[in-house]
Amino acid sequence: MALLKITAALLLVCAARLGAQTAKASEAQVKAVFLFNFAQFVDWPPEAVPDSQAPLVIGILGEDPFGDFLDATVRGERRGSRPFAIRRYQRVGDIKGCDILFINRSAGDPEEILARLKNRPILTVSDAERFAERGGMIRFVTDRGRIRLQINPVSAEAAHLTISSKLLRVAEVITPPGR
Amino acid sequence: MADMRTVAAATMWVFTLGLIGFVPPGLAQQPDSAVSAEALKQLSIEQLMDLQVTSVSKRPERLSQTASAIQVITQQDIRRSGAASLAEALRLASNLQVAQLDSRQWAISARGFNGTAANKLLVLIDGRTVYTPLFSGVFWDVQELPLADIDRIEVISGPGATLWGANAVNGVINVITKDAKDTQGLLLSGGGGTEQHGFGTVRYGAALGSSLRARVYGRGFDRDATAFPSGQDAADDWHLEQGGFRMDWEASSASHATLQGDLYDGRIAQDSGGDIAVTGRNVIAKWSRTLSERSSLTAQLYYDRTHRDIPRLFGEDLDTYDAELQHSTRLGARHDLVWGLGYRNINDRTLVGADSTIAFLPTQVAREWFTGFVQDEIALVPNRLHVTLGTKIEHNDYTGFEIQPSGRVSWRLASSGLLWAAVSRALRTPSRIDRELFAPAKPPFLFSGGPNFHSEEELAYELGYRYRQGSLALSVATFYSRYHGLRSLEQVNPPNPVPLVIGNGQDGESYGGEVTAEYWLTSRWRVHAGYTELRVHVWPNPGSTDKSRGATESQAPDRQFLLQSWVDLPGHLGFAAGFRAIDDINHQLVPAYAELNATIIWQPTAHLDLSLVGQNLLHDQHREFGAAASPTRRDIQRGAYGAVAWRF
Repeated sequence: MALLKITAALLLVCAARLGAQTAKASEAQVKAVFLFNFAQFVDWPPEAVPDSQAPLVIGILGEDPFGDFLDATVRGERRGSRPFAIRRYQRVGDIKGCDILFINRSAGDPEEILARLKNRPILTVSDAERFAERGGMIRFVTDRGRIRLQINPVSAEAAHLTISSKLLRVAEVITPPGR
Repeated sequence: MADMRTVAAATMWVFTLGLIGFVPPGLAQQPDSAVSAEALKQLSIEQLMDLQVTSVSKRPERLSQTASAIQVITQQDIRRSGAASLAEALRLASNLQVAQLDSRQWAISARGFNGTAANKLLVLIDGRTVYTPLFSGVFWDVQELPLADIDRIEVISGPGATLWGANAVNGVINVITKDAKDTQGLLLSGGGGTEQHGFGTVRYGAALGSSLRARVYGRGFDRDATAFPSGQDAADDWHLEQGGFRMDWEASSASHATLQGDLYDGRIAQDSGGDIAVTGRNVIAKWSRTLSERSSLTAQLYYDRTHRDIPRLFGEDLDTYDAELQHSTRLGARHDLVWGLGYRNINDRTLVGADSTIAFLPTQVAREWFTGFVQDEIALVPNRLHVTLGTKIEHNDYTGFEIQPSGRVSWRLASSGLLWAAVSRALRTPSRIDRELFAPAKPPFLFSGGPNFHSEEELAYELGYRYRQGSLALSVATFYSRYHGLRSLEQVNPPNPVPLVIGNGQDGESYGGEVTAEYWLTSRWRVHAGYTELRVHVWPNPGSTDKSRGATESQAPDRQFLLQSWVDLPGHLGFAAGFRAIDDINHQLVPAYAELNATIIWQPTAHLDLSLVGQNLLHDQHREFGAAASPTRRDIQRGAYGAVAWRF
């Protein structure tokens, strides 16, 4: 009996340690996995998909906060028949064939960037202040050590993107009125 | 047998726990990169959202959740307002009273007690305290920096003494500049007009390695004089040249170091007596490190030097050395603890010339401050009901130990609202003016500092509500404060009007409310309104001969209203307008006034900004502050300027 109890206790403690291990994920890592997951919850218009084998491109505008973690996340993954690819852009003019774009705060004024991307079928994601209110599609909000999502479905619609209700359900929906 | 089993079990327990407890740290705490992408990919969106994450700096986002009356001015707000100086940008915060006296002097305060030497506000630029120990106020003319480098300005009205420290009696202004990584490349900007004669800034940012970024800047401006009521030029035009740098080093994902500095040199014309000369320099070193997902440490050192020579009035050289350490840690599931230590040393040398009209005696002093604070945010119901208790303990050379505690409650309501309440004790500790100012400069003195002047005490009660849902953000803050031992001027031999000595002979109270609302009418049109209602009453204590009822201590309007509108137009055009209506200033014969600023910005490409700014458009000239019949009274004139900013 005692041995059983000890074994169980040992297992429990080890499990707790493992749990703690996962809990040590950094903000950037969790955001990288979110970016990857978004591909499963968004539908692009047919004209945005040149062919069914074309890679689904996750772009980073400005400084890359993910290191090689985003590359590791998408390695070997597919969305349907499309493999993933990561591209890094220094300026908005360089962006071509991008499906999901993470806009780093360092890339400049998000409103200017969004204005230049106007209505292109790109899922725009950032952690910049009021990003969703200012016309961005998804904003990461770090709140008491957890990452929440704010989604502006109107902006997505304007770019002919469809965001799954499964994603909308867990996010805070931001809708600027008068549109 | 049972005993044996118990002993064996206990031994195994101890062994097991010991084993796990003594796993080398390197094994138990894998570096961040060891968390595998595979493991995280197994989690659902909900699980990802529930995961605790670590980040190097959590404080900025946490600050907006604190139970206090906070307003944040962003870089974009500043740019669109057309503000040409830091003081002008502060007009965007409706919880501040801001009045311009002449071309260089401003009276800025929160919750009343405004004046040219307003002394109940703490102003920080990147953690460097800029109020002068001479009178606990701010020389706004030298608080200049390239406005394009500002990330945000946090403006807190109400006591912030527990966390922020001395002088945060009625408010804190915290100016935070951008990380060097956010100002890479070349920026050339400049322009000119009627009141802003000319200005220009060159800034260059580059990477000095994979994790080290830097920027340098140089700037200068030339500002026009204000006008006498007759419309005649007041001859207080001035110019200032300034340069500086900032380096940010991401030493690792968990530690960040910053080194920055500025220097400036300016000349301000006067009607008579010769130009005022101002020079200064400062350097700040900051280091922060995330020790674990539950704790972080910040250390900061700075040195600041200012020199000011006002011919026929006084001259001053001030050196400030400051060191601060702050540690925040989470204890258990419910306690967020922050504590810190600080030390400040000043060496202040004032000059008494043959023609000086006032003197600070002794002319040279060295003073020290020791501070410690501790604050615990307790999650009574996590993410719902939080209580924050804390206190600051300070030792200064004038009054010894002083204690400034506060208690705050925040209650998050289901409907995106936050209700908060606070009780605080805050002190305005003596500055040199209270004890060491004498006039004339040589005996017999008609006016002298109070040798026994002690701290002014405030007990503040605040109640507020913040709401944010979709495109509407609303904030209401109400307050009631009692003051004890406010500064007074006492007759030494009543009823003889002079000599006078400074005392603590007045008590007072203040109450009011601050309401702000921000609303996005459409995704391209944002409107921000702010209204503040304020009453300050000051009365003499028994035995006091000061019958001014606060006329020398508080000069603020009963109410003010601000309305700002920003709209993005087609063709890369933006239009911003800022309207303000300020009631008459109590204890002054300054009438109520309304003014309007407007900005048109055209951004033909992402690299180029062209803007046209109109300031104080409604009147040729208007008065904001100052005695009615004073020969020194200045009016602020209508102005217009154009500016170009080119980034590449």
